[in-house]
Amino acid sequence: MATITGVNLPVVPKGVGLTSEPSSRPLALKASSLSCPWKRPIKVASSRKMRSVVVAAAPDRIEKVAESIKEAEEACAGGATSGECAAAWDEVEELSAAASHAKERKKESDPLETFCKDNPETDECRTYDN
Amino acid sequence: MAVCTVHTAQSLNSPSSISHLGFSHQIKHQVFFYRRSSGASSRGSRSLMVQCSAGDTVVIGLAADSGCGKSTFMRRLTSVFGGAAEPPKGGNPDSNTLISDTTTVICLDDYHSLDRTGRKEKGVTALDPRANNFDLMYEQVKAIKEGKAVDKPIYNHVTGLLDPPELIQPPKILVIEGLHPMFDQRVRDLLDFSIYLDISNEVKFAWKIQRDMAERGHSLESIKASIEARKPDFDAYIDPQKQYADAVIEVLPTQLIPDDNEGKVLRVRLIMKEGVKHFKPVYLFDEGSTISWIPCGRKLTCSYPGIKFAYGPESYFGHEVSVLEMDGQFDRLDELIYVESHLSNLSAKFYGEVTQQMLKHSDFPGSNNGTGLFQTIVGLKIRDLYEQIAAEKSSAPLEATKA
Repeated sequence: MATITGVNLPVVPKGVGLTSEPSSRPLALKASSLSCPWKRPIKVASSRKMRSVVVAAAPDRIEKVAESIKEAEEACAGGATSGECAAAWDEVEELSAAASHAKERKKESDPLETFCKDNPETDECRTYDN
Repeated sequence: MAVCTVHTAQSLNSPSSISHLGFSHQIKHQVFFYRRSSGASSRGSRSLMVQCSAGDTVVIGLAADSGCGKSTFMRRLTSVFGGAAEPPKGGNPDSNTLISDTTTVICLDDYHSLDRTGRKEKGVTALDPRANNFDLMYEQVKAIKEGKAVDKPIYNHVTGLLDPPELIQPPKILVIEGLHPMFDQRVRDLLDFSIYLDISNEVKFAWKIQRDMAERGHSLESIKASIEARKPDFDAYIDPQKQYADAVIEVLPTQLIPDDNEGKVLRVRLIMKEGVKHFKPVYLFDEGSTISWIPCGRKLTCSYPGIKFAYGPESYFGHEVSVLEMDGQFDRLDELIYVESHLSNLSAKFYGEVTQQMLKHSDFPGSNNGTGLFQTIVGLKIRDLYEQIAAEKSSAPLEATKA
């Protein structure tokens, strides 16, 4: 059996990415609106709105994986034919792979590098080789 | 690159020169130039023919279960040829294709005939040949090999749907990566070289745990169930491709640490088929003999668990093969260069090229063990194979004119 040492299983709330929200927010907020701040009636500058939209994509992917696992477990537990069971777990595998690739890609992207790839002649991106 | 040779149709008194012109891979036609000879017309006109052989794409097949294009092997391979491989600009952002100056990597998932919902309905995994359109795969790979651009479908891994096709121009080197590159006989015959990445079950399990345990929803049981459920299809359809591969990279748990199950230290075997055209297997010290080598000793100090090499001839599915094996990890640069200096037939262009390539990508997984080392070596072998084929093709028309 594999020993799992030092693996963190983070139990994160839904609004994980939005910890950047200012703490000066009034405390009289309902618990549900805390978890989906983008549904909250927002009277703030548009920049905050943009920040909340960007994060929504990441939990989606993780949700997909968790959902597909549940479906697969149901498909196999219900005594379904082995074909359906295999197909369901195959989907889980595909989604997990896609999720981990996406995470890797996000980790790698350096905003300066991506900008310089498209605009090498700008002042920030010029390189001197002598 | 399409090599064009210019030669005169008739040899006459006036001297004719044979020159080479290089064209981009987009030119697929024969170009004819006609020039009237200046001077006495009694000699008649000479025609100058320029023939571009654009159908010289080298096709490499890579069978791997680890997803498409973003895999470490692909990045190492494209790096050996120079240039970074990136998704096609301006196209579908979820495209699986990678394009660099010399290489194009096509993901065979794009040839799924059933999308995710279709497969769920039929109860078929992506490993099953019924979920893949081998006829289209064969037609398009054949067309690219002959130098024609194709409209290849896109399988979107994010949505699980088949997206509208993208145009693929024939490159110098085409790599088809996926689950079934060697499954169909016709596609197999188009491959100039094929590689199979064979990860043993224990290592696969350890890697999947590392990858998925951080995800919410996954547990040890679900990971195990996922591997078990795919195993029958894998063993029936994917595994048999091993016997057709020219090179197999087998990844096994280490033998240096008793009862190790973390999958960090690996034993990697590079199984190279003998008698493959343009491919000379790598060897240690003496070709064809059996060697067991532990480089750590007086000249080289290694830290635990050290490094162990083995080399020898074997039989693999009825074929004669040479196997080069590495167990352990590199900790320092000088270990790597020491090992490289003792390997032969590496097809490196200069001393230390393998080390340099490994260092260039020291952040890639496997950079300190046999997986990175053998993937880099296979990359150099493919480059050597490509250059040999290209040299063959360019000397052939020259031979014809001399006759």
